[in-house]
This record gives sequence, C-alpha cells and structure tokens, in this order.
Amino acid sequence: MAEEFEPKIVAFLCKWCSSAGSDLAGVSRMEYPPNVIPITVMCSGSVSPLYIFSAFNKGADGVLVSGCHPGDCHYIKGNYYARRRIALVKKLLEYVGLEPERFQMSWVSAAEGVKYTQVIKDFVQELKPLGPQKKLRRTQ
Amino acid sequence: MVNLEELKKEAAQILKEGKVKYIIGFQRSSNGLLPVPAFIKKPEDVEKLVWDPACVHNLTLFLQDDKNKKTKEKEPDERPVGIVVKGCDSRAINVLLQEEFIKRDDVYILGISCENTGVLDEKKLAKKLKGKKAKKAEFGEKDDFVITTEDGKIKIEAQEVLSERCLECKAHFPVIYDVLIGEKTKRNVEDPFKSLEKTESLPAEERWKFWKEQIEKCIRCYACRSVCPMCYCDECVADTISFVVTPDTPAEEKAQKIKWLEKSPVSSENFVYHFVRAIHLSGRCIDCGECERVCPLDIPVRFLNKKLEKEAKELFDYEAGFDPDKPSLVSSFKDEDPEDFIK
Repeated sequence: MAEEFEPKIVAFLCKWCSSAGSDLAGVSRMEYPPNVIPITVMCSGSVSPLYIFSAFNKGADGVLVSGCHPGDCHYIKGNYYARRRIALVKKLLEYVGLEPERFQMSWVSAAEGVKYTQVIKDFVQELKPLGPQKKLRRTQ
Repeated sequence: MVNLEELKKEAAQILKEGKVKYIIGFQRSSNGLLPVPAFIKKPEDVEKLVWDPACVHNLTLFLQDDKNKKTKEKEPDERPVGIVVKGCDSRAINVLLQEEFIKRDDVYILGISCENTGVLDEKKLAKKLKGKKAKKAEFGEKDDFVITTEDGKIKIEAQEVLSERCLECKAHFPVIYDVLIGEKTKRNVEDPFKSLEKTESLPAEERWKFWKEQIEKCIRCYACRSVCPMCYCDECVADTISFVVTPDTPAEEKAQKIKWLEKSPVSSENFVYHFVRAIHLSGRCIDCGECERVCPLDIPVRFLNKKLEKEAKELFDYEAGFDPDKPSLVSSFKDEDPEDFIK
C-alpha cells in the first residue's frame, strides 16, 4: 500500500505570540499533525521574503508565517509591516503559478493554543491533495 | 515639440557658470539607432547632446557611480550633477530622494517631456521595418516618428512602435525638475496594467508553465540588476555565491554568510533570484523597463515588477516615485490594509 503523502510545513512563528501559542498547545497536550517545522523569529515583521522563497527552494511543501493579532505586537507595529509585505509575497507567488494554499499567514496569540492546532490541521488538510511541492524545489 | 536647442542652451549655461560638475545626457553612437550616454564637461561639447525617440536609457543609473566616486575621494566635488531625464527617469530620482540615497542638491535635473509620445521599442520597430536597418529616429510633427533607413525616411505612427511601458505611462513629463523642456501634456491611459492581462488571465497551471519556461532561460548574467537604478545595495544575496567554506571557516562566519541560492542557472535558483529582485523593487520600481530591454534572453522580467506595482496600487493605493516625502511602500502601513488572506 502506498504511504499517504505527509506535507512538510515550515512555520515562522513570532516569539511573543505564535510561538508561545504553539507552546501552550504542547504543554496542554493538544494533538495536532507533526508536519510542522517551527522556526521562532523575533517578530513576524522580521520575516524576510527571502526566508519564504528559500524555504520553498529547499523543499517545503507549505510555508506559514504567524504573528500577533493586529494591535498586540510586542514591537507595536511589526505585524502591520508583515501584513503588507506578506500580501505582496503571496500575490507574487500566485502570479507565477504556485498554488495559493501553499503559503499562508495567521494571527495566533499566546493564549490561542487551540487556534494554533486548528491552523495546522487545516493547513495539512489543504496541502495533502496538492501533493509534494516540486515547482520551486531545488532539483540537484 | 521639444526644442533641443533649448536643452543645449541651458546645458551650456550651467556648465559655463560652473553650477554643475558635468552633465549626463544622450549622444549619437556608432551603433546607429540607439544613442549612448554622454558625459559632458565642457560647454562647447553640448553640441553632442541629442534627444530622439531612441533615448531609451535611464540615466539615473549613473548617479550610483557618482555617489560611489564621491565616497572614495578625499575632497570630492560637491557640486551637483546635471542629468537629462524623461518622465519615468524623474520618478526614479524621486525614489532615490525618498530613500535618501541622494540629496536634492546632488542633482540638477534637466527634465524633458515625452509629450504625446515616448520612446520606441527596438523589437517592434525591427518588425515594422521588416529587416531594414534603422539608422536614426526622430520625433515627427504629429505624434509620429520619422525613421531614417537605408532607403530613406519613413513615417510611422508612434503608437505602433512605442514601447509597452510608454503605452502604460501615467506621467509623460518629469515630476521633479529644475528646468523643464517641452510641455506637460496629459495623455489618457485607459489601463496602466494592460500588458499584464495576458498572463494574469491564464489559469494557474498555464501561468506556471509560462513562467517556468521563461525563468528557465535565465543565464544569470545579472544584466537586469546592473542596469537597474534602484539596485544599489553594496552586497546582494545573489552574490553570496563567492563564499568558500573550508574546514577552517569559523562557525560565526558561516552563520553570517548564508548561501541563500546557488550560482547554477537552474529553474529553482533562478526563481529565487527573480523573486528577490521583484520583491525588492516593490514600491520602488518606476517602470523604466530597462531590465527587460537589456535581457539577452528576452525574459519578460518587467511583468514581475509590474504585477507588484499593480498590487501596490490596488491593495495599498501606493504609487512609486511621485512624492519623495512620503514613506515607502514597505516601511509604512495603514490600519485598513487588507487582511482577508490571514487566518
């Protein structure tokens, strides 16, 4: 029997909210798919578009950028900058023909462990039918 | 009608008065059709200056060299540089001012209005002339170009051979200048993003096929980067390729010099390069179209920039190069920025 495709997700989580949210999910023993590779960053606003392109280039099937809700940013406005930048990156990736589901953004606060598990569950469900991401993956 | 004599007179005047170090303009070349950049230091040399529909170059690129030279000199000449700009080039100056790459006193802007026409597209012209070699292009009396070929002069409607970007240009006259030559004419542009339609309307898979085919061609000569007046970073991520890792390389150095993308011109690496280029120019690209013109493989790189220009306009109501005092696209935000894509 062929094994089911398990997507690999690279998640850039901001240290102050989303990363704490994922921690909460962990310590509360909530179950969610183990497909995520979390990378803690200081702020969603510090996620350079290059990180995203690079993640796809190195074989990620999906990329998630997650930060604090608007108004909750530890650095006051980092997530507002992120919102603008990520919107542009998303449009660019869609324009060249990458499936829009592969790149997502979410707001997850430190108290939203449940939301975090839900975001990941949904993401994995959306990625499974798409299969491996071969378009931007390095071939050699 | 733009009067070239007016430009020459003004240029000679400021050179004589010593107001500027030198003037960057256009002069005839041995190539024939396309003029080449001219660096004029003496008032008597202003006779070399030309202005015709083949003046495609964006001369603001040379402001980078001027700045680099200034930083190296012990006692730099602080006088401004005189520069001949079209509408699009003047917007480039605005972006450079906005980013404080240059100061307003660093340039003396000789603005030329494109009036009702613009610059021509070499490929379109070649097609139109069916193999005949164009020697010279001139502005005609009435929104047309007069092309000199071996067989004599031909009149061609400007619309037929205008470059794509000129057909989509929002301001045909300089938006910032010290001297303006020609008139500020307003031309109605129905859809400033018309050229995008063809690719945007394709279904996602077709679009991918199109871009894969195009980007795969890239040989990574970096001509698009070299010619861009906005690409002035001292170090480019595309250049981390020169970094060699040996057993002696300390961990710290390895951590600082990340190899983001490989040198090899394969599709995946080319995509990263072109993505980075496009995103880096979002809200800064003023659509001078030089990147596409210089591409030896005819990759429509301009579309990537144009797409982001369109999104900036539609999502954030931002247009590059019109106001040097406004914060740039990615260093500002509004509370009402769209977030329907965020979970």
